Amino acid sequence: MNIDFLISALKESGAGAWEITDQKNHGWEFYFIRHKLDQNRAKDVEHVTVKVYEVLEDGKFLGSASMEIPPTASEDEIRKMIGDLSFRARLVKNPFYRLNPGDGKPHQNLKMVSLENISDDFIRTMKNLPEEETRDINSYEIFISEMNRRYINSEGADYTDVYPSSMLEVVINARTEEKDHEIELYRMLTSGTCDSLHIAEEIEKAMAYGTDKLKAENTPMLGKVPVVFSTDNSLEFYHYFEAQMDAALKYQQISRAEIGQPVLAGMQGDQISMKAVAFLPNSSHNFSTDTEGAPIEDRWLIKDGIAENFYGARQFSQYLGLEKSSQVFNIVVEGGSKSEEELRQGNFLEAVEFSDFQVDPMTGDIAGEIRLAYWHHDGRVQIVSGGSVSGNMKEAAENMYFSREKKLYDGMDVPAVIRFEILTITGIGGDQ
Amino acid sequence: MKAKFSPYLTRLAQFFRELSQELSKDYNYVSILSTDSVGFAVRISQRSKSVSSKTMTTERGTVIRVHDQGLYSEYAFNDIDCSRAMYQTASERKAYVLETAEKIKTELGRQMNILKRTQTAVYTTPTLKDEERVLLVEKEAEILPEEADMEKLIENLGRLSDQGVASLEGALDCVMSAQCTHINKMFITPKQYLRQSYCYAEGTAVLIATNGEDTKFAYEGVSGLGGVEIFDGLEEKLLSAVKQAKELLSSGRIEPGEYDIITAPSITGLIAHEAFGHGVEMDMFVKNRALGKEYINQRVGSDLVTMHEGALCGDTVTAFAFDDEGTLAGDVTEIDHGILKTGICDALAALRLGVEPTGNGKRENFEHKVYTRMTNTVFDSGSDSLEEMIASIKHGYLLDGTESGMEDPKHWGIQCIVSRGYEIRVGVLTGRVVSPVVMTGYVPDLLGSISMASSDRVLEGNGGCGKGYKEWVKVADGGPYLKARARLG
Repeated sequence: MNIDFLISALKESGAGAWEITDQKNHGWEFYFIRHKLDQNRAKDVEHVTVKVYEVLEDGKFLGSASMEIPPTASEDEIRKMIGDLSFRARLVKNPFYRLNPGDGKPHQNLKMVSLENISDDFIRTMKNLPEEETRDINSYEIFISEMNRRYINSEGADYTDVYPSSMLEVVINARTEEKDHEIELYRMLTSGTCDSLHIAEEIEKAMAYGTDKLKAENTPMLGKVPVVFSTDNSLEFYHYFEAQMDAALKYQQISRAEIGQPVLAGMQGDQISMKAVAFLPNSSHNFSTDTEGAPIEDRWLIKDGIAENFYGARQFSQYLGLEKSSQVFNIVVEGGSKSEEELRQGNFLEAVEFSDFQVDPMTGDIAGEIRLAYWHHDGRVQIVSGGSVSGNMKEAAENMYFSREKKLYDGMDVPAVIRFEILTITGIGGDQ
Repeated sequence: MKAKFSPYLTRLAQFFRELSQELSKDYNYVSILSTDSVGFAVRISQRSKSVSSKTMTTERGTVIRVHDQGLYSEYAFNDIDCSRAMYQTASERKAYVLETAEKIKTELGRQMNILKRTQTAVYTTPTLKDEERVLLVEKEAEILPEEADMEKLIENLGRLSDQGVASLEGALDCVMSAQCTHINKMFITPKQYLRQSYCYAEGTAVLIATNGEDTKFAYEGVSGLGGVEIFDGLEEKLLSAVKQAKELLSSGRIEPGEYDIITAPSITGLIAHEAFGHGVEMDMFVKNRALGKEYINQRVGSDLVTMHEGALCGDTVTAFAFDDEGTLAGDVTEIDHGILKTGICDALAALRLGVEPTGNGKRENFEHKVYTRMTNTVFDSGSDSLEEMIASIKHGYLLDGTESGMEDPKHWGIQCIVSRGYEIRVGVLTGRVVSPVVMTGYVPDLLGSISMASSDRVLEGNGGCGKGYKEWVKVADGGPYLKARARLG
């Protein structure tokens, strides 16, 4: 698309303010059944989104409307679309806020991306994974993109990020030696480029879980017991805390966090420390600015359990009076007071696989059907499956502990293990 | 009025027909899906308001599928030089056809080089048939999204948001949303020319409220095939959301255990979707990822369980005329009186399994691959009344309000997170409400326990459905009230 024409048309329109996001995606995809190629796909697309702002009632309100303008739009069509946006923007009045200012110069943060090399790495990595008669790869899908995102606004911002973004979806099977029972496990791994070591670790661990699941008994009715999380399901807990510091949720009175106060009342275990950072190794979210042109800086969100800084979109950040703020893409959560080994003491259930584990960011409700867990009790370990974990963060976080050891999941650098002293386990195998 | 087919796509049709013929010289199958779907999304609350032209299904772009030496490949793009594709003479257009064909071949050739370098073998698939077919379907809608009176709609949603907040002590906000999309899709091969145009709309009322300690949100929605007129039903839904919010604010926790349950149509639909929706998507059969493959013609539910799937099963958000591979919409009886009869299938999975496709090949949008996906998934009605069902329960819950669900086709595990459980004791609703409720179980046990079904039936189509954790598409599901037995926590 001719972005220069679009800019001149926006300037000519007399719009109060405007912004353009030009997102190009040159992507390759490979779909495998076992290790045979099922389908290959390529895409070369450009999505140009324009948002027009109108200042209303002498600056008391700001209206806005957005639209994706297809690259195929003619100049006349573009002018008409801008006119429609201007009309619609006047229909939605929000309290006034300003767009993020720039210095009028273009800024570029460009990373070299080779679709060929990254594709080669992924395909070879997957083919070289160790497989056995009783556990192997069922199918996988590889998605690789060279992303090119340019953000421009009427206040002089002009930022371009070019970066790699990859995703790998893998289905793993494990079966008994008699081949009369087979189960599957699912993994979705995201990253910048191909991280062969991380993929191998995750798949090997998943295969071991698969073998264990074949031996699983029904989860007993355990009631309230300590529960340990040591896989990526634990990210749900950190997303809950992240949400409490989101300016939009605070402005909408859904988050009750107050700066300088505990992010949740009554936390007697480890105190959570969470930092937003601009860069994490091989993250698919290493950007110079956010999607609205705000520079991304390292910033504490929660320190030792105390709310430090809200973050978020420009509109809600300004409503809260935040001087510096941006959207958050990479998060670091500090390790806790105990080692992984110490967190695995006494009786506890270690839940490693769920149908779909969720912590509701608004209500704090915790829920997930257990597909695989290890019930450690009275000096022995019982492999269990079925039933569910439930609870609420307000009570659960009262006794929450993090491991000192860390684990990196794309844009989340978090404690490897998290333990809650009390969560409810609804089993299916009778009382313990 | 008819939802008129996109003039933009009509003007591109000749170019794509010539492109499909040109590519046929190098490939033994070529199809082109081109889309031009427009719409709007409005969200009005007490604290923020937004309007945009983007919905879950708005798109303008093209995907080309080719087949060579047993391998299907696709190329998706959205930049076309319209002046060359639409308006030039045949000879001038020919140059652009050749240029576009070359670009596609070159890009796919780069991928083939990687596959050769890594010595990657191909999962060989037969060639799809191409037979002469011409079709134009334009479905009815009273008010198209392009012709919506946005000022009136925004004003109305604002009034409802005010009304919602005023109706409830402890209300933090009332979010009113309305989305309407006019879908236009054109499917072209050297022998086929299919076009369809239809509208669907969905609106929601969400009450966010607190009792000083807990924050709860109640949700109700309207959806269906049609245009902006669908939003007329939002006011009634808001009243229902207000009632639910009150119930949630005083709700308690359920004592975990196994109970007699009655599922409201929203939860009946969730069970249909999770249990034998995903479980019989036959692209999963190709990969040996679904237990359903081994249970065809076997009992998987009680005699009361009959389940249909297909775009023809209801005038909903997914009532298309043909799917994204050009297969005409269908109506498949998946379960007949408790016996699993068949699954649903996209065109490529059908080739591999040696069956006929069922009209369930769907893409998230033109950029995404086709998978076997659900459309309308619905349980048939029975002959009982809701009152009779409640009266038959000694201690149990009436479950209503979908929060989320997850399937496990390989093991037939099911997880449904339900917003509200209404306690029933000795045949009457006690007024006690529990929230949230996690319903888990083994699909044949759950369906096998169905002992009563009401005579009415409702289909709902708000929100989206993913495959794994991606590939979001519109679906609808529903059925009658069902009485069953399930594990709740």
